[in-house]
Amino acid sequence: MIEHRPRRILLVDDDANLLVVLAEQLRDDGYDVATARDGQEALRRLEAGWPDLILLDLMMPRIDGLALARRIKAEADLPIIVLSAIDTADSKARLLDEVAEDYVAKPYHYPELRARIQRVLRRLGDRIPRQSLVLGPNLTLDLHRRAATVAGAEVQLTPTESRLLQTLAANLGEVVTTETLLARGWAETEEADASYVWVSIRRLRQKVEVEPGKPVHLLTVRGVGYRLVASRDDA
Amino acid sequence: MAESDRPAEVVPAAQSDRPAEVEGAPDVDRSTDGPPERPDRVRRRGLDLPFRVLLTIGLIVAAVLPLAIFGIVVIAAGWESNERAVTSLFALAIAGAGFFGLLAAALLVGSLTAPLRRITTAVERVAAGESSPPIHLTGDDELARLAESHNRIAADAQRRNAELAALLTAIAAYAPSQGVAPLVAQAERDARQIYGLIDCQARLGNAQDVALEERIPGDPGPVRAEIRAGAETLGVLTGHVPATRDWERADQDLLELFASEVGVALRNAELFGRIESQNAQLRELDAAKDEFLRGVSHNLQTPLTSIRAYVEQLRASTTDAETDRRLAIVAEQSGRLTRLVRQLLTVTRLEAGVLRAEPEVIAIGPRVRRAWEALNATGPNFELSDESRGWLAVADPDQLDQVLWALLDNAVKYGRGEGKVEVAVRVEDALGRIHVTIADGGPGVSEADRERLFTRFTRGAGQPSGEGTGLGLYVSRQLLRAMDGELWLEPAEAGRGAAFTLSLPGEPPGDEG
Repeated sequence: MIEHRPRRILLVDDDANLLVVLAEQLRDDGYDVATARDGQEALRRLEAGWPDLILLDLMMPRIDGLALARRIKAEADLPIIVLSAIDTADSKARLLDEVAEDYVAKPYHYPELRARIQRVLRRLGDRIPRQSLVLGPNLTLDLHRRAATVAGAEVQLTPTESRLLQTLAANLGEVVTTETLLARGWAETEEADASYVWVSIRRLRQKVEVEPGKPVHLLTVRGVGYRLVASRDDA
Repeated sequence: MAESDRPAEVVPAAQSDRPAEVEGAPDVDRSTDGPPERPDRVRRRGLDLPFRVLLTIGLIVAAVLPLAIFGIVVIAAGWESNERAVTSLFALAIAGAGFFGLLAAALLVGSLTAPLRRITTAVERVAAGESSPPIHLTGDDELARLAESHNRIAADAQRRNAELAALLTAIAAYAPSQGVAPLVAQAERDARQIYGLIDCQARLGNAQDVALEERIPGDPGPVRAEIRAGAETLGVLTGHVPATRDWERADQDLLELFASEVGVALRNAELFGRIESQNAQLRELDAAKDEFLRGVSHNLQTPLTSIRAYVEQLRASTTDAETDRRLAIVAEQSGRLTRLVRQLLTVTRLEAGVLRAEPEVIAIGPRVRRAWEALNATGPNFELSDESRGWLAVADPDQLDQVLWALLDNAVKYGRGEGKVEVAVRVEDALGRIHVTIADGGPGVSEADRERLFTRFTRGAGQPSGEGTGLGLYVSRQLLRAMDGELWLEPAEAGRGAAFTLSLPGEPPGDEG
């Protein structure tokens, strides 16, 4: 995809020091960056125009980050990356699945943050369904909440598994190359190679196929990659 | 005390339940041991005369009848002159008299003792603690009175058995979690129901403060029992029995038994309440601690984020080697601080049980090397021998990093910054697991330390108390266990310092599948 204009990022954080340095780092990497100190300022900026991505701190005065994220998601399916100090309550991280595409813990490592931004922006064209995706009598995907229903039983998916299935589901019925899956699944992991994809697909089949040895949904295309298909097969 | 929550109908119901008992009359339908039994009617054979009259007639018959026979024989003998015949007639007379006498006596005794035997059996049953149906004898003689008093004793015993059963059921239902006041109210309700007490009250405090009441004939009789727990008197249970009801020693014993059980239940409830309030306090403290740590998390991580971001930016733009070296130290130290804060937060999350692992496949060798590089340790050499043969470990990447940092950091610290840190990665094919052993060149772990190594806030002996959090090994082991892994200390070996092995589930090398 050819970049006609720089991608716009709205950076929302109550720490002014961080806003300055992070905005500079992102601008150095060619992004068009706007900043907001709190939720209300963020909403004013949004009225002026929608960015391609929001980087959001969860702990902010006036409007809570989570509430802001919900308001934004209610208006448009704008990708959000939450940038926040690790909280003692992990249940919050679960809530994030509902409103955020990704989560980066403070203090972040900039190259990792950049990799995640790139990955989320790439996924923009993937058209992730916010509803259930029924692939057959024995498989329904609910990727917006990282879950699948397999033969009537719900299974939880890890973030990577969910990302792989999102990429495959966005190209339903068509082959997706191993390289593409690797880039979408492990953008920030330097040592990842094709075997990460192979082994993860094998593990994923254990979760989502009724007979992992005879997959009906998650199929291998030898020498190229994988494809996800709908199947009426009850097997 | 808590009179208001007594259901209004309880007292009349309890009383109307057993009017027969209050009268002292038998009431077989209330038998607790089975279906109602029919009254055992004993009809006397022969003449239906009072016992005394019958006995008198019997004695007369038994004495007079043989005499009469004997007399008749003697008179008959007078007509005969044959001496031998007289002798044999006498013998016959004695035998005949004896026979009829015995026969008459046996018949009488039989008819007299039948009801006696019946009563004896019944009394034995009562003595054995069984229920005994009432015996109904017609007439108004000694036997009838005997039967009457059996009936009363049996009915009393049966009533007390029923009371005891109700009492045990009531006591079994007392739970310490109910609290003292509701238990007192419950005990009052139960005492009314079980004993048919009027205006029953359980008062806590000094038993002597509650004045003794005098019994006035014709009025309901006052009863009381001390509520005790062990040797201590907690209060007193008072009430009145209906005037028509006898209050005997056995009834008092039962009431005292009940009162002492109530006392034990109250004591337990009191202790329970105390523990509950302590627990509530602890929960409050725990919440305060969590809130504090959340604040620490935010207040430490926010400035750290800025520091790291600026250092990264400065390092990217500097060309001066010395400046870069100094900035590297700032980066390393802020990284260390970040890891410490994360470790503390991990502990609280582990304790709260909110930590979840998101297992991913990981090439463990490169991951260990990256963790080592992130530590930026100067001093010992790092040697990695990776024999994973393409196997991938299954672990939560962030949590695995925390484990690796803690173990490598320890290896640097306890290796006294000398020698080398050796890491060996190998696969246990049969178990489907990957083992990573991290060994340092230090003096190893003393026997005394081996035991408590994995507990919280434990540091190696001879380690200055300011160094480390004492949390590394504890957190590492807990994190690994949460992802189906394990961490242990290898046995001491010559030429090697402390060696820790972490074990994780592994996946054999894949192909396209």
